[in-house]
Parts: sequence; C-alpha cells; structure tokens
Amino acid sequence: MKKLKSIFSPRKLIIWIFIIILIITVPEIARPAMSKTEAIVTMMCIDKDGEDIKVCTSVLTPASEKTANYEVYSGKGKTVGEAVENISLALGKSIGFAQCEIMGFGDNLSEEGIMSTLDFMTRTRRVGRNALLINFSGEVEKFAQAVVNMNIEKSLHLEDIMNFDQRYILSEDSNIHSFYKGYFSKISLGIMPKIKLETEDKGNSIEVQESATGGGSSNEPGSGSGGDSKKEYILNDGTACIFRNGEKILEITPDTMKKLNLFINESQEGTLTIDHVTDDLYDDASIILHVSKKDVSFTPKFDGEKPIYEISIDVTVLVEEVDEENPSLKFLKRNKEFLTPTLIEKTKQQVEKQAYEIIEYCKENKVDLIHVYEFFYRKQYKKFSEYYDKMQEKYLDNIDYKISVKVNSSY
Amino acid sequence: MKINYRQLSVMIFFSFISLKFLVLPSVLYLHSGNMSWLVVLVLMILDGLFAISIIDLMKKNQDSNINEFMNNTIGPVLTKIFLAVLALKFFLQVANIVKGLEFFVVENFYNNFSWILYILPLIGLTSFMMYKGLRNIARVQEVFCWSIVIGCIYIGCKSFSGVDPLVYLPMFKDGAVPLFESGYRHLSWFGSSTFLLILFGKVDFQNPRKKLCIKYIIFAIILVQFIYFIFYGLFDITSPTHTFAISDISQFTSSKSIIDELSWLVVSLWVIMQSIQIALYGYCLVLSLMYLFHIKSKIVVITFVNILIFALSYLGAETINLEQIFFTPFASIVTIISQYIIPPILWIGYMVRHRRQNKISGVKNEKTKVNI
Repeated sequence: MKKLKSIFSPRKLIIWIFIIILIITVPEIARPAMSKTEAIVTMMCIDKDGEDIKVCTSVLTPASEKTANYEVYSGKGKTVGEAVENISLALGKSIGFAQCEIMGFGDNLSEEGIMSTLDFMTRTRRVGRNALLINFSGEVEKFAQAVVNMNIEKSLHLEDIMNFDQRYILSEDSNIHSFYKGYFSKISLGIMPKIKLETEDKGNSIEVQESATGGGSSNEPGSGSGGDSKKEYILNDGTACIFRNGEKILEITPDTMKKLNLFINESQEGTLTIDHVTDDLYDDASIILHVSKKDVSFTPKFDGEKPIYEISIDVTVLVEEVDEENPSLKFLKRNKEFLTPTLIEKTKQQVEKQAYEIIEYCKENKVDLIHVYEFFYRKQYKKFSEYYDKMQEKYLDNIDYKISVKVNSSY
Repeated sequence: MKINYRQLSVMIFFSFISLKFLVLPSVLYLHSGNMSWLVVLVLMILDGLFAISIIDLMKKNQDSNINEFMNNTIGPVLTKIFLAVLALKFFLQVANIVKGLEFFVVENFYNNFSWILYILPLIGLTSFMMYKGLRNIARVQEVFCWSIVIGCIYIGCKSFSGVDPLVYLPMFKDGAVPLFESGYRHLSWFGSSTFLLILFGKVDFQNPRKKLCIKYIIFAIILVQFIYFIFYGLFDITSPTHTFAISDISQFTSSKSIIDELSWLVVSLWVIMQSIQIALYGYCLVLSLMYLFHIKSKIVVITFVNILIFALSYLGAETINLEQIFFTPFASIVTIISQYIIPPILWIGYMVRHRRQNKISGVKNEKTKVNI
C-alpha cells in the first residue's frame, strides 16, 4: 500500500500527467497534415444523372498561408453515399464535409425528393446544420465549375450572395436547419432560392468562363478540365422554390416573391411602384416608393365556426423616384413632403391588392406562404385543430382574410 | 481542509447547470414538447429547495461527517442502505457526464478522435482532483465560474435574434400528465443537490454571506431557463435532432465573423467545467464507497472508480448504448430516494434525536435543580 501511495504521491502525479500528455501529443504531432488525408469540401452539388446520382464537390486545397485552390471533383453512384465514396477513392482521401457551406440540388433530384440526401448528410453530422441550401438549374458539373470559376475570377462567393438573398429576397434562412423545420411541420413546406446557370446573358447575371480551371471526375477522368473558353452566366434573379415533403412542387417568380415580402417583417427592403398618381403635386406620375420599414402582424380568430385571419400591414415609405412627363420645379424643393394623401390612398390600395393576390396564389397552389397554419395552430389550437381535421389541404380556402394597411412617411 | 460558504455556493451552481446543457434539452423535447422548460423549471426549483434544506442541516452538524451523522440519527442499517443508494446516484451522475462528454468530444469536437485519447487524460485529471480533495475542486470551479457564465450568456445572446417566441404556444396542448411522465422519465438528469449530503462536516460556515447560496441557485435556474428558451426558440420541432445543445446554439449562425470563433472557446471552457464536475461527483462516489465499506485508503477507491469510468467508456464505445440506462425507472428511483427521500428522513432523524437530547438535558436540569 505504501508503494502504491508513493506512486500516486502529488509530486509523482505531475509526472504521470506529463506521461499521459506525451502519449496523446506525440502521435498527434506525428500525424500527416490533414489536407493530405482529407479533402476539404466547401460546396457540393447533387443531381440525378439517369438512374444514378451525381455528386460534384468543390475541394479546397491550401496552397500557402493565405491562398487556397478550389477544384471540382465529381463522382457517380446509385446513392449519394456511393458517389461520395467514389470521389474519395479517386482522390485517395476521405471526404470532409465539416466546412461545406453550400449544398446545391439540381432540378431533377429536387423534383424526385431531396430528403434521403439530406438525411445522409446530416445523420452522422457530416454537414453543419447551417449549410445553405440552393436549387440550381443546368448540368450539375457545369454549375459547380461555374461557381468555382466565379469565385476565382470575380472573387464573388456564392455563400455571400445567398446570405444577401436570405435577408432581402427570401426573408428567412435557407439552410438545413430551417428546411428541416419546415419539413417536420404539419404542412411540410420548405423554401430555397434558385440559382440558374444560363448560356446567354439575360441581364443581372454574372459572367464566368466555362471550365477555366482544372478539376476532375472520379468516373469520367478529365471532364470539367481544359476545354474552350465559352462563357456562362450565373443568374440569381430572386426566384425561389417551394418543397413539399421534400419534393419540389413550385417555383415562385421574382415578382411574386416581391409581393410575398410585403407579408414578412424580416425582409429588409423592397419597393412599390404606384402608377397614375394625379393630385396637386403630381400629374399622372409613376412613383417608386422605397419601403424602409415594415410591421406586419397576424391575428387568427374564430367567429363561431368561421376562421378569420386578420393581417395588419404597417409600411413606412419614402418617395424615391417620380416619373412624370413634365416634371415641375416643385420636386426640387427641399423639406417637402412628397407623400400626398392621394399617394397614400393609392399605396394602400396597391398593398392591399398585392396582399390579396398572394392569398389567391397560396390558395391556388395550396401552399401556405403566409403562415396561416402556424398562427392558427399556435394561437387557436383547439378550434383550429378541429377545423383543420375537417378541411385538410383545403384549409386556406375557407378562411376569411381581412387586410388592413397603414402607410407612413419616413420623411 | 474545509471549503468555505462561497465555494459551496459555486459548487451548487455548477451542479445545477452541469447536466442540463448537452443531451437533456433534446431528449426532453421528445416527451414534453414545447413545455420542456416547465419540467426543467419545476424540477430545478425542487432541487433548489432540497439544497437549502440540506445546507440547513449541514449548518446544524458542522463537525460530523455524513457517515457519523447518519449512524447517530437513523442507525447503522439505514445508513448502509442510504450510502449504497448515494453511491449509485453519484455513479449514475459520473456515468451521465462521462458518456455525454465522450459523445460530444469524440463525435463532434474532433474528427476521427479515438475514445481512448479522451478517457485517459480525463481519468488522469479527475484522479488527481479526487485525490487532492474537495478544496482543490472548489478552487478550480471558482476560477472558471464567471468565464463559463459569461460564455453561456454570450452564446445565448448571439443567437437571441433567431428565437421565435411563438414556438411556446400552444401551452399544455396535451394536458399536464405527459409533463409529469416526462419529469419522472428524466429524473436522472436532476437531483443536483444530492452531492451536498457527502459534504457534511466539510464546509466552514463561519461568517456566511446571507442567502448567497439561494442567490446562486436562483441564478443557475435563470441561466438554464435562458439557454432552454433560446434552444427551443431556435430549433422548435427539430430540437430532438440537436443532441449537443450548447454547441448547436453556438453554431446557429450563417455569418462568418471572427467573433463567432469565440463560441468554440466557450464550448471548450464548458468541456473543462464538465470534467471538473466528473471529479466532484467522482469524489462523492469515492467517499460514499469509503464510508460504505470502511475502506481507509483513498487511493484504492479512486483506482476502483477509475476502472469503473474506463469500463463504462469502453462498454459505451464497443457494445451497449449506456444512455438507455438513464431513461430506465431504475435511474429515476435512485434519484427519488437520494434526492427526495433521504434528506427528509435525515431531518426527521435529526429532530427526533434533538428532542430526545433536549428531554434528557431537561430531566438532568430538573434533577440538578431538585438537588440544589
């Protein structure tokens, strides 16, 4: 016992701790650099390729302390796991998704359903829950290469564009976490932005050289590298895709997205165009208003058996542009309130009109983009549950929508 | 060496928060949904009330250790039974943290990290702390206390903007019964004041600051509720998939600012705090085993406890899912006995003994009066 005590005496314990530290640190120091054993994936794009699934990854290779190379590698397989394994085999490295910031889904896969892919990526925590999700059009390999080229040529990062998009267009996060949240809700809806790869410039797009940098494919060596210097265009026009039960069911046009943003407090900016304004100040003018602040509130109610959804939209606007045939000098006057009563009235009507259009759009497509289910479920649980059980998917149709709009001047 | 009242308060604070920020929020949501916060609040208040009652009892018996105190108040048979239950409770607490932390460190914190590289330094550290004793543990906790508090508040505040308060509605959707069931099922994560029983005679209550302990308990409850509010507000129905609450909250951001990297520093601090907590519960386990089997050598018991921890980690890594054990009625019953039954019995035992002593001293006084 005395011997045992002397082995574990406080002074010798320090030596023990030192030995333990040595046991741990020496193998760690002796390990090869992680970039030699693991491919650091920053983006992955997935789509169907016939019966198979094709995965393209943008792999980061640290070149020096401050620079890094991005290259695209692709793999094919019956499942995502198999495709990833094939990339791994081709590179001779395990694939590390911890740094993956973007997951892109091609149209074909999106229409078929993306949940099994998401499940594969998240079940073993391969990808962080805050990885951004996008839907893309065009060939998967070309798209991945174009994004990498955009990064190299223009120093524009897709994740930055998407972060901006989330704030100004979608007004909600489009990441794995929020997609799951939507998927597991009773209405099972998810939303993600769409990025298009075009062969010609349609305006607002970013031009990139096709196949400007090298890359490779595990199954098709050499594809994606070399080639002529054709141009491609990455277009983010504000289109968004709606998923139900993990399958893409609808594409929302940029115009509809703008209208939809009127309902969402979080959307940070927007404009309203009011045509044919005539009063003391304007003469048949088209006026563009900048929405600088918005306060939207939803009140779900029941009048007997009838559900009523009250939407109150309080917008603060600034007259940003006046398009008039003969502009007078009065517009140049400083300290002038340009938001006239007529303009306010017209703005109210316009906002109301847009709001009703969106409601009709939701009813028509059976997609609850204005959170009717959410608010009724949360605030009128018992009555709404009974109502929902009766109506099921048609629950949006029999609700009375009451919209009140207030327009303030930010002047 | 005794610890002072402030150190005791810090210890209680750590015990109250230690098991709450990792697996519990996600598993709790499966059974109590958006009312999980209420289950935690009620059980933590109960823990707090029992902590205060145990401290009162400790103040009245500052010289005897728990073994002597129990022997004197409730007799040797009950003492043995209670010590065995306490040892079980501490073992479950150690196991719970060891497994939770292992899952976190091996699966999440590092990539391709061997469990043996986690368990060896942990055993080294906790053995040293158990050997050095209570004061050592208390001092280390004091050093880390405020940095961990500030870190948790920082992580919570950083993600606050993403919280949707609507997720807390509707309340009591399925009534109160599922909440009771859920509370019972997850009892092994509570019973945070049981360790105080082992600290009988090890706390110096000279010049205690008034109600310091109560303040720390209230602060711990508020901090836990704050983190839970953020967690459920962020993740709502996906909460069960977020098995590492504190790190998942810290990662809930799409931005890439340098300040976000601080979150990992906080999570690392929290890992250290958990290791200290293992040392504290391990120390309690060692003492209860020493009292139970009348073993005088601390080193022998520490070695035995370490073998247990190692086996636990090995079994968890190789064959069985030990987490399932914490959901069994067995774990809940151990908590009920150790946390909610033993302290009242000790109080009753103390009162009976006290009254008896008063009676004896009263009879003696009367006799002396008659003699005079």
